Amino acid sequence: MNRLRPFVFHQPTTLDEAVRILAAERGAARPLAGGTDLVVDMKLGRARPPVVVNLKRIRGLDRIEPVDGGTRIGALVRIAAIQASAIVRERYPALWRASCTLATPPIRNLATIGGNLGRGSPAGDMAPPLIVHGALVEVEGPGGRRTVPIQDLHLGPGITCLAPGEVITAVVLPAPPPHGGSAFRKLGKRGGGWDIALVGAAAGLVLGGDGAIADARIALASVAPTPFRARAAEAALRGRPPSEEHFARAAGIAAEEARPISDVRASAAYRRSLARVLVLRTLRDAAGLALDAAVPR
Amino acid sequence: MTSVGRRVPRVDAVEKVTGSAVYGADLALPGMLHGAVLRSPHAHARIVAVDIARAERVPGVRAVATGRDVPFTFGASIRDQPFLAVDRVRFVGEPVVAVAADTELQAQAAVELVDVAYEGLPAVLDARSALAPDAPLVHPDLHAYPRGNHEIVEHSNVDTVARFRHGDLAAGFARADVVFEDEFSAQALSHAALETHVAVAAYHPASRGYTLWTSSDRPFQLRGELAAALGLASSQVRVVVGYVGGSFGGKNTLVAEAVAVALARQAPGRPVRVELSREEDLTASQARMPALVRLQTGVLRDGTLTARRAEFLWDGGAYASNAVGVAVRGPKAVFGPYRIPAVEYESRMVYTNRQPTGSYRGYGTTQAAWACESQMDMIARRLGIDPLEIRRRNGYEDGDAWINGQVMHGLNAREPLERVAAAIGWGTVDRAPAPHLRRGKGLATMIKETATPTSSNVVLKVEQDGRLVVLCAAPEIGAGQATVLSQMAADAVGVPLDAVSLPPADTATSPYNGPVASSRTTFHVGNAIRTAGAEIRRKALALAGDLLEVDPADLDLSEGVVVARGVGPRATLGELLARRGAEGCSLVAEARYSSAGSPLLAADPGLGSVSTIFWMISAQAAEIEVDTETGVIRVVRVAAAADVGRPVNPVGCEQQIEGGVVMGLSNALFEDLVLDGGRIANGTLADYKVATLQDVPEIVPIIVESDHPEAPFGAKGIGEPAAAATAPAIANALCDAVGVRITDLPLTPARVLAAIEAERAREVAAGGSTNRS
Amino acid sequence: MIAVTVTVNGTRHDVEVEPQVTLLELLRERLFLRGAKEGCGVGECGACLVLLDGEPVSSCLVLAADADGRAVETVEGLARDGALDPVQAAFVDHGAIQCGYCTPAMVLAAEALLRRSPDPGPAETAEALAGVLCRCGSYPKVLAAVAAAAATKAVR
Repeated sequence: MNRLRPFVFHQPTTLDEAVRILAAERGAARPLAGGTDLVVDMKLGRARPPVVVNLKRIRGLDRIEPVDGGTRIGALVRIAAIQASAIVRERYPALWRASCTLATPPIRNLATIGGNLGRGSPAGDMAPPLIVHGALVEVEGPGGRRTVPIQDLHLGPGITCLAPGEVITAVVLPAPPPHGGSAFRKLGKRGGGWDIALVGAAAGLVLGGDGAIADARIALASVAPTPFRARAAEAALRGRPPSEEHFARAAGIAAEEARPISDVRASAAYRRSLARVLVLRTLRDAAGLALDAAVPR
Repeated sequence: MTSVGRRVPRVDAVEKVTGSAVYGADLALPGMLHGAVLRSPHAHARIVAVDIARAERVPGVRAVATGRDVPFTFGASIRDQPFLAVDRVRFVGEPVVAVAADTELQAQAAVELVDVAYEGLPAVLDARSALAPDAPLVHPDLHAYPRGNHEIVEHSNVDTVARFRHGDLAAGFARADVVFEDEFSAQALSHAALETHVAVAAYHPASRGYTLWTSSDRPFQLRGELAAALGLASSQVRVVVGYVGGSFGGKNTLVAEAVAVALARQAPGRPVRVELSREEDLTASQARMPALVRLQTGVLRDGTLTARRAEFLWDGGAYASNAVGVAVRGPKAVFGPYRIPAVEYESRMVYTNRQPTGSYRGYGTTQAAWACESQMDMIARRLGIDPLEIRRRNGYEDGDAWINGQVMHGLNAREPLERVAAAIGWGTVDRAPAPHLRRGKGLATMIKETATPTSSNVVLKVEQDGRLVVLCAAPEIGAGQATVLSQMAADAVGVPLDAVSLPPADTATSPYNGPVASSRTTFHVGNAIRTAGAEIRRKALALAGDLLEVDPADLDLSEGVVVARGVGPRATLGELLARRGAEGCSLVAEARYSSAGSPLLAADPGLGSVSTIFWMISAQAAEIEVDTETGVIRVVRVAAAADVGRPVNPVGCEQQIEGGVVMGLSNALFEDLVLDGGRIANGTLADYKVATLQDVPEIVPIIVESDHPEAPFGAKGIGEPAAAATAPAIANALCDAVGVRITDLPLTPARVLAAIEAERAREVAAGGSTNRS
Repeated sequence: MIAVTVTVNGTRHDVEVEPQVTLLELLRERLFLRGAKEGCGVGECGACLVLLDGEPVSSCLVLAADADGRAVETVEGLARDGALDPVQAAFVDHGAIQCGYCTPAMVLAAEALLRRSPDPGPAETAEALAGVLCRCGSYPKVLAAVAAAAATKAVR
């Protein structure tokens, strides 16, 4: 079996120390969180970092905690913990659903939300729901702390806007809007949800006092070089009633504006078909939750 | 109480559930080195230069082997394959240079420092192109290779031609009301056993011999192949096989073994371990052979088959490997369990520049049954006949003549189909739970012969403590061999099941056995056990008579206790042997069973070589749900039945039947080794997907029984037929659900969706009619 | 070299490892616990599943250094005084084992599931065990075994 090649291993216990090492090593060092991507890449020879900086000794990055009405999820929070979180389940259904379908339990017990985002895979499961939830990414680096809107984090396949030495420390989700609903679905190679996404789709809807759609967000995985926000489809929904007709139209627009490629997992044409179907279905799911929320009990 | 026929726990279960079972991959020997392999990045290229100097200087490296260091070739049917490529590489992933070092890490690091210069050659990447008159030759020297007596086409890529004909084909087609002509394809699959190919080899300079510890389904055949390749007497090679982490027809050639042997020659006295990574296993070990099948079938309006002609084109990959037999024997299954008065096949296998392909659970029947059973449904639909009814109308009965005129006895031809149809409620339609979902049901059945003639030998030994040891070279590859052989041995001798043990197969101490393949082990080894068991029993009772001063005719041996008639228990087998304690005593018996010469094999003149000692018939019925918007097929339920003769261990039969459905479903829906420019594009388990627990439908396993006159304890075989019917049953259910017929495997969501959309477009073009035929 | 203190099946081990050594390699090659298997090395097959602080993980992706200060359970630790634990016994009794290469991982995944959820339905079991591939296709019997083990544990 493939063996990992030797590397210089740092295990900083503070964020400052981690940032300092990563900055000093510049591109040579890779931060290690859950290891479910980095270790795989290293075993398969796709990555050979001479220096690996283990972030897991840094305290305080593995908590889900309330902040200003919203929720802060530390970068080292494992996907299994997101899945197990009552807060996420109740307030952020799209993120929760995505956490349930990311790989399998022995991977979810290792993989972290920060790692999933930092990897920058266009197929990543965490980014689309976080876009829908309007998350901000907290980043710490040699220049101090900054905040990046989640949709600005990814620049291309495997490429993020993080500078050398910068690490993701948390994602912050604002309070979910009242009368809102969100959903996530994906389709993998085995048809079910647990494989790498052929297409993943997240949708969020907010209903206004008049019952029309006040805000809509649609984000897709695996249909573009980065997690893809279907802004034209969103625009087509705003101000419209949450009806099948408008969902179908928006889904069609989302499929048109997506920019999928063909690869061994699926053809571009099939991805486009899936994008339409999954957007339609997530819109229905999200509307169901939003309508439930809008109806006084 | 007898053991055969009871639902006993597997004899290997406790070792396996506690983690103490030792597999090939677990073996560690003193002084053992670890190997790594540099593999070809080219599908077809000339090797211009090899420079190993940098690799040799890596600390810990003890040996580096190149093709020139091992100037031998191997191959079960054609000696066409070098241990390491010599002057040309023929597939991406072919071993070129191997390194042995103190650690696996050192070996892998050193391999990267080997420099090989290549000069690219035009490659042949699929079977059809291999037949083109101007196709590059994968093996220009094919005609000169040592090989068996099968037909080839010299100076071409065709390394196997096989033909079979019986009955008056012209008359059969002339009599037909309709002649169907269709083409089907089956894809390359990985066996994907959880344990990858792994072997440890040691070279013994004094005897010039080798010991090979490996995970293989055929210790003696591997020994023979290796000895022939190295120019050694067969007993100079010793093959030892412990537990095997799955084979499915995949662990029967020299894969890790060839590299381990090459390195062991260079490192005398040091055993060398070679374990393929999963990626190497997927892309560079033997795959299931892709096939193109052209079927021409004559039918009367009432669905009666009058003639069938089949053409097979097999993509054998870069080396013949174990594939020749598949190309020769596999096509027989294309005639199905049906009475067809006139049959013919022509089977050709070609070399291409892809990984070697070959046998896979069913030895060609998964490909043949795919074509046969898909077309049976196409015929039924066109003629407006129920798919169950057309199979009934043509199905074999006990006593019918098989394709070579051999009279079929000892099979239950009808029950499997009837039982699976009943089990899924054939003829009733289940409502789909949502408008975009459609439900459908499909049937498929298949027949499989077994390799004939083959033989098995066993030695039975009663130890000084009364335990019974079964020496036979039938490795436990997962299919339950150890349990059924132990059960039969226990009953044949008259000892309890827990007094029986089967040590690992070892060619130095076990007598000859054919391979654990072709679903032959229970029948053949069981027959030898039955004979040897009777002999041990005679010896035990004679000893008891001697020591107890009783006429042996008045004694019985049951559950390990000698019982005197009318008196009661007298002594255990262990106590009897203990009475010879000072002098010492073992009881030993050996027996051989061969199917050769059985009167059951009588066939029409000239066709006796096609005969089989038994047939296995299986049937499956699948209910599926199709998402018409995504093309995703969800299999809801599968009923699967197999005629096993008599079950030795019903739990084991169910394991094989259920496991066959899981594998068949995975093969049908998910799996495909996709070749892209000579390279496998999905060579990791992240992209080569196999079924998980979440993909499994409700499975109804059905054991069907029959009376075979020569079967030990009535038992035939089960391993192979369990898998072949699943893919066509699902495809037939797909057609039932949404009216589309897909003739290429796998049934991926994209392919299904495209077919549904094409069908919709046709309906629109035809004026909006929604009728489906 | 990194000093690692890890408790494996209740026994404390103090070892020195190189950074690139995985937990699976530590278990198999240094501690000679060979129940966990390496089927792919990249977290896809689940054969290397062990419990890390009680949670199932793919040990081929965990650096041994990251096991420092933690508790590991492997299949070898389940049987007590030679008696199989209820999950192991149910696997034996229900024929949930064929080639057995995935069995240690399946058993541990089931063990972790039943500790968290004593009476799982088939869907929950399938989800919890889906990370372990069984090419022999013992899945239906694995489901039956886990249900039976749950019943046995409930009686205790």
